[in-house]
Amino acid sequence: MDFLSNTKINFMALKKAGFTLSSALAIGSILMLMLGINLGIDFKGGTMVGLSFSEDVTIQEVRSSLENITIDGNEFDLSGEEVKYFGSNSDVMIKIKSFENEPKNFGQGVINNIYEIMKNKAPEDKNEFVLSLGTVSPKVGTELSGKALWSIVSALVLILFYISIRFEFRFAIGAILALVHDILITLGIFSLTGYEITLSTIAAFLTIVGYSLNDTIVILDRIRENMKSSGTVMFENTINKSINQSLGRTLITSLTTLLVIIVLLIYGGEIIRPFAFTMMVGVIIGTYSSIYIASGFLASIYKSSN
Amino acid sequence: MNNGLRTRLLLILFIFGLGVYSLFPTMRYQFLSDEKKSLLSKNEVEYLEENTIKQGLDLKGGIYIVLEVDLPQLINNLASNKDKKFEIFLDDLSNQYSNNTGDFFTLFEKNAIDKDLKLPRYFINYGKTKDQITEQLKLEADDAINRIIEIIQNRVDQFGVSEPTIQKQGSDRVIVELAGIQDSERARSLLQSTALLELMIVKNVESTNTIIRQIDNLANASNSIEDKKTDVENLFSTDEGANDLQFSSLLIGVGNDIGIEKNNLDKLNAILEQESIKQLLDATNGQFLLSNSAKTFINDFGDEEEIYIVYHLNKNAELTGGVIENAQVRIAQSGVTAGQPIVQMEMSSAGSREWARITGANIQKRIAIVLDKKVHMAPVINSQIFGGATVIEGLDSVNEAEDIAIVLRAGALPVPVTIVEERTVGASLGADSVNQGTYSMIIGLLLVILFIVLYYRMSGFIASFSVIWTLILLLGVLALLQATLTLPGIAGLILTVGMSVDANVIIFERIKEELRKGKAIRSAIDAGYQRAITTIVDANLTTGIAAAVLYQYGSGPIKGFATVLFWGIIVSMFTAIIVTRFVFDFITSRRNIEKLSI
Repeated sequence: MDFLSNTKINFMALKKAGFTLSSALAIGSILMLMLGINLGIDFKGGTMVGLSFSEDVTIQEVRSSLENITIDGNEFDLSGEEVKYFGSNSDVMIKIKSFENEPKNFGQGVINNIYEIMKNKAPEDKNEFVLSLGTVSPKVGTELSGKALWSIVSALVLILFYISIRFEFRFAIGAILALVHDILITLGIFSLTGYEITLSTIAAFLTIVGYSLNDTIVILDRIRENMKSSGTVMFENTINKSINQSLGRTLITSLTTLLVIIVLLIYGGEIIRPFAFTMMVGVIIGTYSSIYIASGFLASIYKSSN
Repeated sequence: MNNGLRTRLLLILFIFGLGVYSLFPTMRYQFLSDEKKSLLSKNEVEYLEENTIKQGLDLKGGIYIVLEVDLPQLINNLASNKDKKFEIFLDDLSNQYSNNTGDFFTLFEKNAIDKDLKLPRYFINYGKTKDQITEQLKLEADDAINRIIEIIQNRVDQFGVSEPTIQKQGSDRVIVELAGIQDSERARSLLQSTALLELMIVKNVESTNTIIRQIDNLANASNSIEDKKTDVENLFSTDEGANDLQFSSLLIGVGNDIGIEKNNLDKLNAILEQESIKQLLDATNGQFLLSNSAKTFINDFGDEEEIYIVYHLNKNAELTGGVIENAQVRIAQSGVTAGQPIVQMEMSSAGSREWARITGANIQKRIAIVLDKKVHMAPVINSQIFGGATVIEGLDSVNEAEDIAIVLRAGALPVPVTIVEERTVGASLGADSVNQGTYSMIIGLLLVILFIVLYYRMSGFIASFSVIWTLILLLGVLALLQATLTLPGIAGLILTVGMSVDANVIIFERIKEELRKGKAIRSAIDAGYQRAITTIVDANLTTGIAAAVLYQYGSGPIKGFATVLFWGIIVSMFTAIIVTRFVFDFITSRRNIEKLSI
């Protein structure tokens, strides 16, 4: 099969439109992030409890059971905390912000209280009732965010360094711009959906970084190769030619990766879903950014320097 | 077959063999039924378990707990000549420590300088200068943490968990991972309990009555001062705090003991935490402790009330858990507790002598058996006890009794620990995500293979072959590394499959391009590979750099992702560049192919 050869699409003609679209999306994402990004307990600290009832329950029901939680003689009203369904109408996820002087074994205390109050709808074995329980102290949360941020930043710096050596500094800037663009917009779309950011979703973001980088390098590599024969004269043509030459590869790889991700999104289960969703958005944005951000950036700066 | 081809074939076969060989235990373990597993010898099972790819707790279910050692408490334990100034210093220090992420001893030194605290005054046994003392205290802390790990290991072993992981993190944390644990509540209390057993004399009724009166007076006095201070704030509040704070009014008579209703606990604690009352108790060498659990009573109005017993005890323990040599669960044969589980303890010979002396000197007094600052029972000593036998009664269940026996046998932690991070995944959730994850991975893989075979025909088969081998080899490497596969690790697998397909696609597209230029098949393949290799190497190396950095700096899940990605890159480069190339060369070397199916 060979319907992707000898395409002659003038990608760079739409460069301005691409920049506008990207800027709009990026600004929108920044606004979304400023409005409130749903950080999980991994980064803020807190308690997260997943419960599996033996029959369907309403959120209201669970919420009212949280009104009067007694742990070691102290009473807490947790009805204002986040409660949502997890996969089905009989499983719920409760997220509780951390607060000062939290009693020991707070999460278990909450579970025990709900179990007593909603006993008629809970399975007999308490161990089957508890789907998951996570507790992160605010201190550890701060450490984990610091580490995650630090590792991503240092990875970006090293990549910048490597590409500068193998290609040119300008190529590196283009690649990093594309990466930041991808992460930012994916984050924006991600926070639109209300999924929360956990250490696992960070892994998904890293996967996007890996994928987008791979994609960008393949195109940049073509540009470098074509530059050898034609230099930077008519640079936009060279870039268009390079993108067209690697178009087959770009589309086939994106399609195959999307195939796996979409299957995961549909059948992968509740835990994997946010993760698969992030990757799906990331792959689409990553493919687009290799063409319009990384290559588009190169086209613009060479144009202005010539 | 020419020589070059043969060498390459041997190399490839060797690596394939190695991959399959290292994956063999995992395969065998996966398909082994429980029934067959029980037929294997213990060594065989251990060998299999050690050499399989482990499933992370997020996939398998279990608990992951990070315990933080209470270093301020350790410092407090080690200090002598403690005064007010030291107390303030320590309070500030522990506040800062629980809110900051810095190293404890850096904070310790900084605070000592800021507050102009003369360290040698309090730590004379640990050195003469600030540096010496800090150094020595660091060693003590290290020692404490190692002992804690040892004790927790001991407890976990006795609890019976397969493949527990217990390791030190940084200078003040211990990570405990227990896979496949069902009862997380029980496991948690087992890990967390300090298991400090203390035997303390209960103060007599007269002195208890006296101290209650004195506390009432003090509480009233300080209350009226506070009232004045917060007059304006209280103006509109209808709070009747003044009366509630009366100590004696909170207490209820329960037989010969005094008790407190569960709902009033916070009020009781508020009173006992007042500075003046603390000083009073210190001066009279006394303290108040509560019973380990609340008992339900019916009050005068016919309502159920949950009541804790309040004990007034000597401040210092007569004997501590260090003398316990053995602890066993028994069922009480006689007395009011007959039929209930009890823990029977045996003491060392020195402990037994001491116990005989204490019981002999305190006949007709009551002695409280206190575990982790909770009074389990306080029987009257009727006669001197020889032989060091003691029991703990008042336990809710056999499980609780077993756990207490375990922690007593394993010994007390030198310093308390607190849970700073916990992740418990129920077995069902874990199993669901494994099944769904594996299932969708396989479907995804099949779809990808179908797609590339349709698109690239014969060459698509070669690519599929290389993708499947990439997965097998990668899993083999993970088994060799005894790595743990977590959810982020699966993300790494997906990315690897993606990159492996990509490498093949890059090569095929290049070959096609060369063919379109009119080159012969052999030279198109040569040129295609040659050009594709730079692209593949550059793309993979950049991603590889990212993976290495993430491995270096990332925590838990991110590290797992980075490991898979890093090895995935290496393996996929091997299969795409060396293995598929060999297949192409092999095919074209044997027959003169007119048309390449690509």
